[in-house]
Amino acid sequence: MTTTTSQTPATTPVTDAAPPAGTRRQATLQWVAVHIFAVTAGLLFVLPFVFVGLTALMSDQQSLTRDLWPHPFEWHNLVDVWHTPGFGTWWRNTLIYAVTGTILTLLSSIPVAYALACFRFRGRNLAMMVVIATMMLPPQVAIVPLYLVWAKDLHLSGTLWPLIIPMAFGDAFSIFLLRQFMLTVPREYLDAAKVDGCSDLSVLLRVVLPMTRPAIAAVGLFQFFYCWNDYFGPQIYTSENPAAWTLSYGLQSFKSAHHTNWNLTMAATVMVMAPVILLFFFAQKAFIEGVTLTGVKG
Amino acid sequence: MKGAVASGTRPRATPELRARKRRELVRNLAFLSPWLLGTGLFFLYPLVTTVWLSFTHYDGFTSPVWTGVDNWHYVLHEYSFFWPALRNTLWFVVVIVSLRIVVGLVLGMTVISVKRGSSVFRTLFYAPYLAPPVAATLAFVFLLNPGTGPVNSVLGKLGLPQPGWFNDPAWSKPALALLAVWGVGDLMVIFMAALLDVPRELYEAAELDGAGSLRRFRHVTLPTLRPILGFAAITGVIAMMQYYTEPLVAGQVASGQIGGSGQQVEPGYPAGSTLTLPQLVYNLGFQRFDIGAACVVAVVLFVLSMVFAAFLMRRGSVFLGVGE
Amino acid sequence: MTTPSRLTRRLAAGGALTALALSVTGCFGSSKGGANDNPNADVTITFWHGWSAPSEVAAIQATIDGFEKKYPNVHVKAVGNITDDKINQALRAGGPNAPDVVSSFTTDNVGEFCTSHAFVDLNPFMKKSGVDPVKVFPAAQREYTQFEGNQCALPLLSDAYGLYYNKADFKAAGITSPPKTYSEFDADAVKLTKMSGDTYSQLGFMPLYHGYESTITHFAAQASPTYFTSDGKSNVANDPPLASTYEWQKALVGKLGGYARLDKYRTTFGDEFSNNNPFMTGQVAMAMDGEWRGGMIDDSNSKVDYGVAPFPVPDDQADQYGKGYITGTIVGIASTSQKQNAAWEFVQYLTTDTDAVVNFANAIHNVPSTNAALASPKLDQSPAFQTFIKIAQNQYSNTTPSSPNGGAYQLTLQNLGYAYESGKQTDLQAGLEEAAHTIDTDIAQAQ
Repeated sequence: MTTTTSQTPATTPVTDAAPPAGTRRQATLQWVAVHIFAVTAGLLFVLPFVFVGLTALMSDQQSLTRDLWPHPFEWHNLVDVWHTPGFGTWWRNTLIYAVTGTILTLLSSIPVAYALACFRFRGRNLAMMVVIATMMLPPQVAIVPLYLVWAKDLHLSGTLWPLIIPMAFGDAFSIFLLRQFMLTVPREYLDAAKVDGCSDLSVLLRVVLPMTRPAIAAVGLFQFFYCWNDYFGPQIYTSENPAAWTLSYGLQSFKSAHHTNWNLTMAATVMVMAPVILLFFFAQKAFIEGVTLTGVKG
Repeated sequence: MKGAVASGTRPRATPELRARKRRELVRNLAFLSPWLLGTGLFFLYPLVTTVWLSFTHYDGFTSPVWTGVDNWHYVLHEYSFFWPALRNTLWFVVVIVSLRIVVGLVLGMTVISVKRGSSVFRTLFYAPYLAPPVAATLAFVFLLNPGTGPVNSVLGKLGLPQPGWFNDPAWSKPALALLAVWGVGDLMVIFMAALLDVPRELYEAAELDGAGSLRRFRHVTLPTLRPILGFAAITGVIAMMQYYTEPLVAGQVASGQIGGSGQQVEPGYPAGSTLTLPQLVYNLGFQRFDIGAACVVAVVLFVLSMVFAAFLMRRGSVFLGVGE
Repeated sequence: MTTPSRLTRRLAAGGALTALALSVTGCFGSSKGGANDNPNADVTITFWHGWSAPSEVAAIQATIDGFEKKYPNVHVKAVGNITDDKINQALRAGGPNAPDVVSSFTTDNVGEFCTSHAFVDLNPFMKKSGVDPVKVFPAAQREYTQFEGNQCALPLLSDAYGLYYNKADFKAAGITSPPKTYSEFDADAVKLTKMSGDTYSQLGFMPLYHGYESTITHFAAQASPTYFTSDGKSNVANDPPLASTYEWQKALVGKLGGYARLDKYRTTFGDEFSNNNPFMTGQVAMAMDGEWRGGMIDDSNSKVDYGVAPFPVPDDQADQYGKGYITGTIVGIASTSQKQNAAWEFVQYLTTDTDAVVNFANAIHNVPSTNAALASPKLDQSPAFQTFIKIAQNQYSNTTPSSPNGGAYQLTLQNLGYAYESGKQTDLQAGLEEAAHTIDTDIAQAQ
């Protein structure tokens, strides 16, 4: 199901060409209702961010009261958070995990997706079913034996390696998305390149890759955020070594491990949310396109 | 997808053909090797081992000892957290998946209707989806604190009842559902793209036939959106079967128990209401170190996921494009 | 006719399956250490502990420095902020990063450490060094560091629990001395409670089981329960002291305003170990807490003028007033360690060297864990601290016994408490029988 072009791009499902007075009033009422709803919903959606930000700027004691507005504004909280032992380390570890993971995933998933999209061989459908099956597998199903191997046999628990190394073997979701997108590359381009004497590898590099750039960007973004947001993996593999913690695990332990109160915890939350939101503002198009791609092509 | 090799007559097995077939095999293996290795190492091996371990007693120190169905009997009949966790997981699957689809659709249609400033609204509704799960959960636990949180503070000022949210067994799951709906932005964006793709002519034709907006929705919008709604259902169910981080963090933080020094942390605070099946694997395998029992839960989780997956895929295979 | 590709595929599948079968069964050996090292050789051992606050970390480091001065050939690398989960994981993983000496804040898992042989039995080491545990350590400390004769851990400082009370609030309510029995306690708690709207402006005592140290095992210690029979089966369904504790707590919850009101108030509490601890902010007038709380109040800017006394006892055990719940930090040697002799020298110093124990106890405001240290004049003599010393020395003070699956039975009892106090469980005896059954099956499952 691919829809690269639609018949008539609609911006609103209702047309109005000189409607009679009754429907005009109805349309106005509808307009008002829709806008009231939109504004209310928008406020509700943004309120959590506002409250978190305000609490981050409160003093210790005030964060425990029902006050909604900081008195005074403790801007230094945002700096103090960085002095909490480990916060900088968590940032570094999360960046390492996310960046390396994304690169490895792309490098290993693209050839697979290409093979599944453009090669014809027996068992291709079976392979796709396996890809989909692995996509649906909760990580908790496989974790126990994997942990035992990483910890007992390879002695790599307490590091980021058990999280990063598997990403060099392809990621099912990425393969699936990339493959769906690659299917839309018109066969003629591939055949033309083959006729010109290109090997399969150069077809991939010279023809398919340039045409699937949006999908690659989307998959890269998704994988980055998967690593950035991953909690279960770091909890299992890095919890025994605080020097290897990532932001998600560190943040969860923040409140208890360092006996901090809500104001600093909220400040830390701001520090963890802010980069992602900022990234979004600068790369909005890529984000939205990527999400749309998963829906449309998926 | 056209162009499949005609499987009628088999070409004769000439040396050139054999050589080409061999080259193709090598080529296929070369491109597929990372994934083949990965599937073997990180999917097949753990799966087989998990099933085997579920029939053994293993504490991580001495070698596993075969105990037959002892672990299965324990988990299904004696382990007091199993059935609550199963019920909770199913609750989450049904409630959160449907809520997110409904809210996502409604918000998507709203943003489309708001012509001016629609990108502002789109941003407002999408941004929470980007909040990292742990951060978002912490934020919600704080916001919904029954005693000191802003939400109950406002509710109190308005004279409305102030529920116990994450501290009340009756409200903890709804609180988690609120959190999940707050992050509905990705679904909304997908729905918006699909809504905008509905051909205008269909709406105009329906309008000419005298259909009001509700009937237009039922008879034009919904049928056209069916594939995308199915996709949202499938991905939603997959996500809810793996629902782990938010309920775990919410329970731990809301209970206020430090629990850091290794005391058995109370799973699923309050009163087991936030327990999910994935959490049991962690509790049994990494807190009690009863690896056999943990694998039993893992197998149950696997079977359930595959059952859901098969059911949903049969309904929705048309848009998964497996056969293409 | 089998084409080459089909044959290759079959071979590959067969090979993969064989490899899979082999790998599945072959990966789960066990790792063992040994006590064959030369204790006089120059060696570095790794010591994992749970302390994380800067003052505590400095205190343990000072103790380590004292040890290294006495035994210059043994170097200790200390790692802090370790919890039992991490200990369990690291000991099972083994390898070069696994610790040699491990210390834990809770006694809960000693039974599990002993039966799974995560820690080595220290009896042979003690015999070789001439340490008589009965003479050196008090009874409760001995009990929570061993399981069925296997002394797989030793106590490294203890905690004693008692009653903290706000002297100003007592004066304002006309209470002249801390309560000794449950009746007196209940009456005082009610007197000290001031309701305000649908909450409190001051609460006499937070009895709910989620209220930090207000747990069923801490309360029950005041009644001296018997958790297990001599053959290791759960005794909780046949133990009047335990049942009466549940009933006392439930009655107290009712007297202080009911479960809902109390629970809502509880959610307004700050972190237990922060300066916003409810006793330190004056939100509660009385609290059950350990001996470390006094030091925390002194070090903070809390204005609470606090007094300390043993926690009250049931009316029918009034002659045993002065007892309390004892627990503490434990230390053991990892069975995966290859340097167990050197590790023993460190453990012996940590746990039995009187000066080291006394200095450490003073530094982190904990109760010492040897008879000699408890009686030492160098110990902090402040009245509040000495109250806890007396509780630790009281012959009726008790602890929660070890169990093969760690603190699981305590969690089961706590869960019953949560259900009973909130009204979800109305039949206490039925709840206790169910708890006994759960405890027994959990223990059976763990073995």
